[in-house]
Amino acid sequence: MIINHPLLGPRDAAEFTYLGDATLINRPDWQAEDAAGKFHEYLYLRDNPAGEHRELWFHEQGDRSWLVVTRNTLTHEITKVELARDVALAAGRDK
Amino acid sequence: MSNLSLTAQSALGGIRRDFEGVSLAEVGGHALVSVATPLGGGERLAKAIASSYGAKLPTVGYSSLSDNGRARFLGLQPDQMFLLFEHEDDEALAAVTGQLGDAGYYTDQSDSWAMLRISGPAGRTALERICMLDLHPDSFDIDAVARTTMEHLGVIILREAADSFLLMSPRSSATSFLHAIETSIINVTE
Repeated sequence: MIINHPLLGPRDAAEFTYLGDATLINRPDWQAEDAAGKFHEYLYLRDNPAGEHRELWFHEQGDRSWLVVTRNTLTHEITKVELARDVALAAGRDK
Repeated sequence: MSNLSLTAQSALGGIRRDFEGVSLAEVGGHALVSVATPLGGGERLAKAIASSYGAKLPTVGYSSLSDNGRARFLGLQPDQMFLLFEHEDDEALAAVTGQLGDAGYYTDQSDSWAMLRISGPAGRTALERICMLDLHPDSFDIDAVARTTMEHLGVIILREAADSFLLMSPRSSATSFLHAIETSIINVTE
């Protein structure tokens, strides 16, 4: 499987490690009233789609960047690769 | 109190081997320092590099040389680069701080990496058997740099000239790395 890194171009998937669902970026506010419930959802409740899935990959044997990869779990076709930093900034995070 | 005098040893004992069309040699006399950009400090760091080394801030995937040709900034990832420069003693951090002040965050990596230069017309043929990257000049030009794996070992590869590559791999597995490179060269030259 080839992951088309936004900065480095196509790289073999063997250079990467997989973390999981891209929603792991959205860590809940630990000081919120309902923090316990939100963290339960954050840690344990996952969609398990047969089809398009957004997931976090780490370019360990490369530039050490975190990527958000949109991959079809049925065909392994990768339709989009973004830097996780850009995704977080676009979602309103400040750094 | 005894007065000990220790002599530093290079990772690969200064090896140099010549094959038909390929030369392989350990590179010594260099220091390697990681330079990380402080949050929001990119412009200040770029100015410090321009005024002290006369070099541009490298883009990811490329390296830039200082104006005296003795230091090279390797653009390996966003907000962090490696500075490779000619240096003999073990005070590499002081040398960088003396040039850049506190414009970046520095980590001395000098003794953590073994450096090999593979040169000659058949060098790329030997490398392409173990390197997953496309090393054709159209996609990996002079001054291009990348971090990847060869034979499952982490490697930084830099193209110094049309047929000369500098390879850096962790010192702890340096002899395994040397074995992988030598084997690949033998496979294409003998």
